[in-house]
Amino acid sequence: MLSIVTRRVSQALLLLLVMSLIGFVGIHSVGNPVFNVVNVETATVEDIRNATIALGLDQPLWRQYFLFMENVVTGDFGTSYVYHLPAFKLLLSKLPATLELAVIAMALAAPGGVLLGLWAGRHQGGAADRAILRGSVLALSIPSFWLSMMLILAGALLTGWFPSGGRGATLSVAGQEWSVLTGDGLRHVFLPALALALPNVALIARLARAGTIEVERQDFIRFCRAKGLSSRRILFRHTLPNISIPLVTIIGMQFGGMLAFAVVVETIFAWPGIGKLLIDSIQLLDRPVVMATLTFISVAFIALNAVVDLLYAVLDPRVRLST
Amino acid sequence: MSIAFIETLRSRMPRGSFPFSKALLGTYILIAFAAPIIAPQNPYDLLQIRGWEASAAPGTLGGDGYIYWLGTDGLGRDIVSTILYGLRISLLVSIISTAVAAVVGVTAGVVAAYFGGWVDALVMRIVDLQLSLPTILVALIAIVTLGPGIDRIILAIIVVQWATYARVTRAVALSEIGKSYLDAVRLLRLPKRRILLRHVMPNSIAPALTLIPIELGHAIALEATLSFLGLGVPIDKPSLGSTVAAGFQYLMTGQYWISLFPGLALLGLIAAINFVGEDTRSKLDPRSKSL
Amino acid sequence: MSVLDRPLRRLIASSIAIALSAGLFCTAAAAAELRIGTQLKLMTLDPHYADLNENNSLLAHIYERLVNQDASLNPQPGLAVSWTRISENSWAFKLREGVRFHDGAAFTAQDVIYSINRIQTFLKPPSGGFQNYTQNIKSVTAPDPLTVVIETTDAAPTLPLSLTSIFIMHEKKGGFATTEDLNSGSQPVGTGPYKFQSWQSGEGLKLTRNAQYWGGTPAWSDVSFRVIESPAARVAALSTGDLDIADYIPARDVAGLKGRGLTIDSTSAARSNFLQFDVGREQIPGVTDNAGNPIKNPFRDKRVREALRMATDRPFITEKILLGFGTAASQLFPAGLSGTSRKLAVERPNYEAAKALLSEAGFPNGFHVVLAGPAGRYPGDSESLQAVAQNWARIGVATQPVVAPFSVFATQRSSGAYPVWYGGCSGEAVTFCLKAVLASPDPDLGTGSINYGQYQNPAFDEMLAKATALEDGPAREAALAEATEFVMADDPIIPLYHFHLIVGHGQRVSSYAVHPRGWTTAMQALPSAK
Repeated sequence: MLSIVTRRVSQALLLLLVMSLIGFVGIHSVGNPVFNVVNVETATVEDIRNATIALGLDQPLWRQYFLFMENVVTGDFGTSYVYHLPAFKLLLSKLPATLELAVIAMALAAPGGVLLGLWAGRHQGGAADRAILRGSVLALSIPSFWLSMMLILAGALLTGWFPSGGRGATLSVAGQEWSVLTGDGLRHVFLPALALALPNVALIARLARAGTIEVERQDFIRFCRAKGLSSRRILFRHTLPNISIPLVTIIGMQFGGMLAFAVVVETIFAWPGIGKLLIDSIQLLDRPVVMATLTFISVAFIALNAVVDLLYAVLDPRVRLST
Repeated sequence: MSIAFIETLRSRMPRGSFPFSKALLGTYILIAFAAPIIAPQNPYDLLQIRGWEASAAPGTLGGDGYIYWLGTDGLGRDIVSTILYGLRISLLVSIISTAVAAVVGVTAGVVAAYFGGWVDALVMRIVDLQLSLPTILVALIAIVTLGPGIDRIILAIIVVQWATYARVTRAVALSEIGKSYLDAVRLLRLPKRRILLRHVMPNSIAPALTLIPIELGHAIALEATLSFLGLGVPIDKPSLGSTVAAGFQYLMTGQYWISLFPGLALLGLIAAINFVGEDTRSKLDPRSKSL
Repeated sequence: MSVLDRPLRRLIASSIAIALSAGLFCTAAAAAELRIGTQLKLMTLDPHYADLNENNSLLAHIYERLVNQDASLNPQPGLAVSWTRISENSWAFKLREGVRFHDGAAFTAQDVIYSINRIQTFLKPPSGGFQNYTQNIKSVTAPDPLTVVIETTDAAPTLPLSLTSIFIMHEKKGGFATTEDLNSGSQPVGTGPYKFQSWQSGEGLKLTRNAQYWGGTPAWSDVSFRVIESPAARVAALSTGDLDIADYIPARDVAGLKGRGLTIDSTSAARSNFLQFDVGREQIPGVTDNAGNPIKNPFRDKRVREALRMATDRPFITEKILLGFGTAASQLFPAGLSGTSRKLAVERPNYEAAKALLSEAGFPNGFHVVLAGPAGRYPGDSESLQAVAQNWARIGVATQPVVAPFSVFATQRSSGAYPVWYGGCSGEAVTFCLKAVLASPDPDLGTGSINYGQYQNPAFDEMLAKATALEDGPAREAALAEATEFVMADDPIIPLYHFHLIVGHGQRVSSYAVHPRGWTTAMQALPSAK
C-alpha cells in the first residue's frame, strides 16, 4: 500500500511539473502582460521596454521558467504583476469566498439531491420518478451562464429579493473574512450558490436513485421488508448507508469541481473567489497569479482523483491499481 | 468527471420516457438546415442589417414591413434570424468536435486498458494532466496558440474533451477485461484487433455514449463561454451561445429578449439532445437489455 | 446524531447573534458613510507605482497634488497656492501653509523634493509611468520650507500641468519607502481629506474623514469603495440601494436607473477613441482583394482613408450604440477643451462620394480588410467595430471585425498583426494625445508613443513643436487648433467618438460633479441635507 502511495505522489509531482510547463508556455504565448501594467494610452515605447525588462520578460523563456521553478521550490510563486502582492498570498485571500460559495452550494445540493434520489428510486417508474428524472436531465441541460443570468433576472431584477452580484458584508473569523456569517452576506451568496447547486442536485439525485434501485433489489432488503420494517426505516437505515460510499465520493469530486470550475458563476455574479481571480488573471496575463492558482487547483484535483481511484481499488478488487 | 458520475448515468431508466424529444431534436436539425431559406434576414450579411432599427422590442414593425417577432439585438440583427443561423454554428461546432473527441477518447481508453503497462500509464497521465487543468484554460491556450476561427474552436473543444472519454472508457474496459467471457475469447486465439473491436469496444462503449449528449451540451456551452471572453466565434457571425452572452449587458435595461429567446432555444436544443441521449443509452447499454 | 446537534445549534445561534449585531453596527455607522461602487480596480497603495486612473482616482483621497485640474482641465491651486515662471527653465511654487499629514507632521518643501526624487531616482520599472512627468526636471530645491524651485533641462511652459499627476508623499527619513512597504507594511500617509483605514487589493478601500483637513471638514465621515468591474453588477447594486454612487454606468442602463428614481450625471471625457491605419508598411497583413490575394497597403493612399472616413457613420455610433452618451469625434479631445479646434465638424456619411473616391484610388470594387479592436475595454468598442463594418460594406469594403481581450489585442497590435484597428487616447491635455497619436515616432522627443501605424507628417510635427513651446494662453490654443485642423485634413486616423462618463447616485447624495479625466472620488459628491 505504501509503495502505491509513493508512486501516486511521484506521478502527481511529475504531472504538476508538466502542467506548470504547459501553463507557463501557454500564458507566455498569449501576450505581453506589460500592456496591463503600464498605461498603454500614455506609456512610451521605452516605458514598455523597460517594464518588460523589469518583469524579466525579456529573458529567454526557458530561463524564466527555471527561475520560476527555483522560486516555487521555496514556496514562492512570485509577485503579481498587477497587484504587486505575493501571488500565493493573493490566492489565499480569495479562497474563503470560493470555499463558502462551494460549501453553501453543496449544502443545498447534497441533501436535496439525496432526498430526491431516494424518493425517485423508492418509487421507480412512478410519476414522481419520471418527473425527477426529466427534471434532472433538464437541469443538466441548462448552460450555467444562462442559468446564472436567468437567476439574476428572476431573483434580482424582477423581484428585487436578492442582490444581483458581489459579496456581502463580511465578518473576520480566524483571520479570514467570511460573508456567510452576516445576513447581508447570506443574501449575496444565495443566487450564485443556487446556480452552482442546481446541476449538482440533478447529478446527486440520479446517483442516489440508481443506488437505491440497485440496493432495494437485494436480498437483505427483501428480508428487512419481510421482517415488517417500515419502508421509511428501510430507506434511511439500510438503503442510505449502503449507497453512501458512491454518494460521498461524488460529493467530494463535485466539491473539487466547484472549487475549480466556479469560474463562470463567479464571473457573472462578480463573486471575488479564486475562479474569478483565475479568469481575471488570465485576461490580465498575470502569470504568477495564474500559475499559483493553477497549481493550487491542480493539487486539490489530483489529490481528489487519487483518493477516488484508491477508494475504487479498495471497493472493487477487479480494478487493477494503476500498473 | 469521475467514474462515479458515469455510474450515475448507468442507472436503469424506463425506455422511451421522453417521447417528444426526438421530434424536437429533429425539428432543430431541420430548422438548422433550412435556416437560409426560412430566416427573414441573413444576420451575417452586413448589408441586410438595419442599424437604425437596433434594440427593437419583440413585435416591432421594421422599415420594410417585416415584423421583428422576437425583437432585434443591439446592432439591429433580427433575433429570429440570429437564432436560426446561430443554431447552425452551434450544432456544427458541437457535433463535429464531440464526435471527433469521442472517437479519439474511446480508442485511447480501450487501448490503454487492454495493453496496460506503459501504454496505460502514458495515456492516463496525459488524461490526468488534461483533467487537472481547468477546461477554460486549456481552451484559452488552444485558441490563442491556434488563432481565431470556427475550425480552431472545434479543435480546442476536441483537445478539451477527449480525455473525459478516455478516462471513462478505460475504467469500464478494465472491469470488462477482467470478466471471464474475455478469457474465453482469448482462448480462441483471436487477433488482438478483433478482440478489441469486437468484444472489448462494444461492451465498453456504452458509458462513453451516455457521455456524448452531456459533452455535446458542454461543447455548446464552452463555445459560448469562449465567445463571451472574446475568443470564440467571430463577432459578426454570432452563434446561439455568443448571442446569449452578448445579451448579458442588455439584461439590466429590460432588453431581456436578446439573451432570453436565444437562451431558451439553446436550452431546448441541449435538453432535446440529452433526452434523446437517455433513450439511446438505455437501448445500447448491454446491462439494460437484460432487464 | 443528537451528539452533533447541540454544538451545531449553538453555532447557529451564535452566528445569528453575530450577524444581528453586525447589522446593528452597520446601520448606526451608515449615517454619513458614502458607499461608492467603482469600475476602477485599485491595485496598489503606492501613489507612484503605475499611472493609471485605477490607482490615481482612489488614492486622491489620501494623497494630494501640488496642482489640481478643474473640469476644463485648467490648473488650479492644490498643495501649492501659486506658481510663477521665474526664468525660461525654472518655476517657483509657493506651498500652502498649515497643511498636516495624517500622522500630524507638517507639510513642507522637503516632502515635495522627496516625492519627485522618489519617482526620478528610486522607483524602477515597471513602476515607471510617472517618470514621463518628471523627465525634464533637472533639480528641485527649497529656498524656504514653503517654497519650491524646480529647474528643468529645457523650456517647460506647462510644468504645472505635469505636476497635476504627481502625488506628494510624506518624506521618509533614511531612504525611500518601497512599494512593498506601502502595500503591506505601514499605513499610507498623505495630506488628503480622507485617511486610509483598510483595503483589499482589487476589491475595495475603506477611508475615514480627516478632521484636520486644511480645506475644511470633509463632507462624509466614512467612505467605502467597492470594486465592481461588471457594469451590470454595478448598476444592479446602485438600483437596489447597496451603493450611493456608481461610476462608468453603461448608457443603456440610464433610462432604467432614472426610472428607479436615481440621478444621472455625465460629462464628455477628455479623450477620444478612433480607428488607426497602418500607413508605414508597403505590405500589411489582413488586407486582400476580393479574390483573397494580398494587395499593397491601400491605406498609404490618402483617398482611401478619406473614403473610409466619409463612409463611417459616427452619429449612428453616438446615438444608437452610446445612446446619446457620446459625442461624435472629429479630433482628439472634445471641442471646447483647451487647444481643440472649433472648425472641425462631423458629417453624416456620404456613401456615394466615398465610393467614387475609392474608385478614383483604384478600388472600384473595394477590398477585404480585418478591423481589430479590444472587447469591453471602452464603452461601445466591439459594437462600434461591427457598426463600422456595416458602413464600410456599403462602399464595397468587406470588413471583418475581430475582437480580443485587451492584452491580447495590444500584444498583437504592437507586433504589427493588424491593418487597421480601434485605439484610444487620454491625457492631462490635448497636446499629450497630439504628440502620442499623430506626431512622428521619435524616442528622443518622446513623441509618437501610440502612433502604431507609423504615420509621419513633418509639416505637422513642426507646427506642433512650435505650438507646444508657447506658454499657456490664447496664442498657444490657436496654434494647437490650427495644427489639429492641418493634420486632420490628411485623415491620419478616423476619430470615432468621445464617450461620456456617466455616474449615477442615489438620494443620499445631492449632487455629483463628473470630472472629464474619469476620476471617481468622494470629494466630487455632496451629501443631501437630510
